[in-house]
Amino acid sequence: MHELSLALEVIDLVSKETQKKSLSRVFEMEIEVGTLSGVEAETFQSALEMVVKGTLLEDSKIIINQTFAVGTCSDCQKDFNMKERMATCPDCRSYPSKIIGGDQFRVVSILAE
Amino acid sequence: MCDTCGCNNPEEYKIFRPSEHHHDHEHEHSHDHEHPHGHEHHHGHKHDHDHSHEHGHSHDHDHDHHEDHGAAKVIDLNIGIMTQNNLLAERNRGYFEGRNVLCLNLVSSPGSGKTTILEKTIQALLPKEKIYVIEGDQQTARDAERIEQSGAPAIQINTGTGCHLDANMIQSALKKMEVPAGSVLFIENVGNLVCPAMFDLGEQKRVVVISVTEGDDKPLKYPYMFQSSQLCLINKTDLLPYVDFDVEKASANARQLNPNLEIILLSARSGEGMQEWFDWISKQKNE
Repeated sequence: MHELSLALEVIDLVSKETQKKSLSRVFEMEIEVGTLSGVEAETFQSALEMVVKGTLLEDSKIIINQTFAVGTCSDCQKDFNMKERMATCPDCRSYPSKIIGGDQFRVVSILAE
Repeated sequence: MCDTCGCNNPEEYKIFRPSEHHHDHEHEHSHDHEHPHGHEHHHGHKHDHDHSHEHGHSHDHDHDHHEDHGAAKVIDLNIGIMTQNNLLAERNRGYFEGRNVLCLNLVSSPGSGKTTILEKTIQALLPKEKIYVIEGDQQTARDAERIEQSGAPAIQINTGTGCHLDANMIQSALKKMEVPAGSVLFIENVGNLVCPAMFDLGEQKRVVVISVTEGDDKPLKYPYMFQSSQLCLINKTDLLPYVDFDVEKASANARQLNPNLEIILLSARSGEGMQEWFDWISKQKNE
């Protein structure tokens, strides 16, 4: 359940950024989670909702975007979206020979004043 | 609090030598990181660069960024959430390299035999090697006590309700235990094949331990850990005649995920295979 410590890390990061930029209210926060980042997006969302209480993110809308990794099938060479590390080609059931992306885990932006 | 593992407040951890017992709580985490945050220059990027990987998006952005928030504006941050841990891990790594310390991070599920492997390793390699151990557990100083009885100085980190060690805890532990140049430093992570995979501690090599009393499909179930490790120890081989564990299958599963993973079969109890593990350690030292 590392999602909880990661959620705390997000609050830390965003608090520092808002301080630096003299912002006092955050209405929205957008986070990108890759499907191979090792972070469970849903768990992470619940963790964030738990830990925002009493912080400047308390009333913010949290938007979590999942980014799929793209695997290239080792047989048919077609690209397919990978929902998890062991995902196989939907047509051939083969493992990918190449994987691009999916490891993103970042705060993309905030809507703040 | 958390319904996955009962985590409550992962920020509350303790670091102590076994002789000190529990009485000096550290609440170090409002960490006074002084390192230069490199992200300033990201700002304002209209990030249309590097993202060749972005195509697969099936983003269902319900981007209604335009609910009326008056003067509020969208501020691009683009900050990696692991950045803080990764920066600290790199500092730890630099510290180890500068002092010629070999740091190995041992990860596994609970009960695979990490502590026993360490005890036997310490007994075999002392006094030729200088060995130090950082022990991570949710509670108790038991493992650090066992290690010190084997003859190596140890420091215990109790993560409280947390489920993994992070780079900051290692940095704090290093401030409490002097690790002389040329030593081997083992970090025994919290028994957990999920969370520790994400946290770089600054180690040179990560060693995943499984035992033959577990399933040979373990690598497939916990791919991140096997993918991020350089060596896999398969422990308790003395029990192979009594269990259904298929060594070939386990190795094939592990290598499917990580073709470069080295695998050593051993039994800390009988001593079988231990020499190969010691040789691997001295090879890393000479690299």
